[in-house]
Amino acid sequence: MIRQLFIFFLMVIFLSSCLKQSIADAMIADQDPGAKGVATLTYQINGNTVTTTVNGPDDQTSTDYQLICSKDPYMGTNLFVYGLDCLSTSGELTFTFGTSIAVGHYSYLGSYGDMFVLNYNGQAEYVHDPADSISFNITSSSNGHISGNFSGILTPMIVAGNPNNTYGTPGSVLITNGSFKNVPVFSW
Amino acid sequence: MLFFIVTHSDAQLGVMKMVGKNTSNYSFGIGAYVKGIFSVSQSSDVTVELGANIFFLNDGGSGDGTVIIPLKAGYRYSLNGTGLGFYVEPQIGYNIYGVTSTYVDGNTENLKFHGLVFAANTGYLFLIGNTPLDLNLRYETVVDHGGSDNYVSLGLSFYLHFGKRDNE
Repeated sequence: MIRQLFIFFLMVIFLSSCLKQSIADAMIADQDPGAKGVATLTYQINGNTVTTTVNGPDDQTSTDYQLICSKDPYMGTNLFVYGLDCLSTSGELTFTFGTSIAVGHYSYLGSYGDMFVLNYNGQAEYVHDPADSISFNITSSSNGHISGNFSGILTPMIVAGNPNNTYGTPGSVLITNGSFKNVPVFSW
Repeated sequence: MLFFIVTHSDAQLGVMKMVGKNTSNYSFGIGAYVKGIFSVSQSSDVTVELGANIFFLNDGGSGDGTVIIPLKAGYRYSLNGTGLGFYVEPQIGYNIYGVTSTYVDGNTENLKFHGLVFAANTGYLFLIGNTPLDLNLRYETVVDHGGSDNYVSLGLSFYLHFGKRDNE
């Protein structure tokens, strides 16, 4: 009888520990049930519209995602950095906010050095020229989701050959009307 | 009155680790408890335990982590029937106070919770000289708000005697 009870008890523990979320994550999700609906990111690159829509964005995983803001350890420190990553049908867009995703303005300037921003139909677009930049505004950051807008002036990379990459016309790639909404923040 | 029916009690300090999804940011935690032990037979005890567990979270914020204070009842069964040696102890109880202080969207939020507590505890009761000790390993889960916090602990406890077993 004791053995059966103990086995039953172990099953209860096992099943309860299989719950998908930690208590904190469940509470954060409870604060805004509607936030699980749809995440979107859209922008125009030289007038061509790119749109990514993800239904049930909170169900994405580290190995299967389209649109997330991830929180990752920063090399050799106890700090974490937040980065937006979008995998669309035309390519990838990525931007690192830094150690915070509070509401505010975040930008990367050409004077900081070369940085990959996005890939559009097989061509990589960089912040490269001193006049280049990419700017993000986070207008909402709550309940584990961020929303905002962005724009940029980029330079295409014609031939990759690091450290001697060949770039195209400086500032010839314009990112306009960029916006993102309800992007979930993940910590893997 | 409690001291007349509790045959003995023990206290413990242990090392704990949060396990499960999204717990990689947690470093090792520490836990302590005091436990009242009511002897039912030579091999069996009913236990009541009040614990305090602290888990430290390194997620870029300051002062972050989780605190859980569970009150549990359990049934401890000595496998060889002597009251020493290996034992198993299922426990069930209630989390009197729990809080996770975590970094959310650039701000630190304190998320308070309670919830049911289940624990599977196993260990080895032994003597060093006249000092009874209990080396134990535990898996514990707290369930609330549709989620769960799960952790394992390894601890060593010492006994505080209020009485004696029949064969002592």
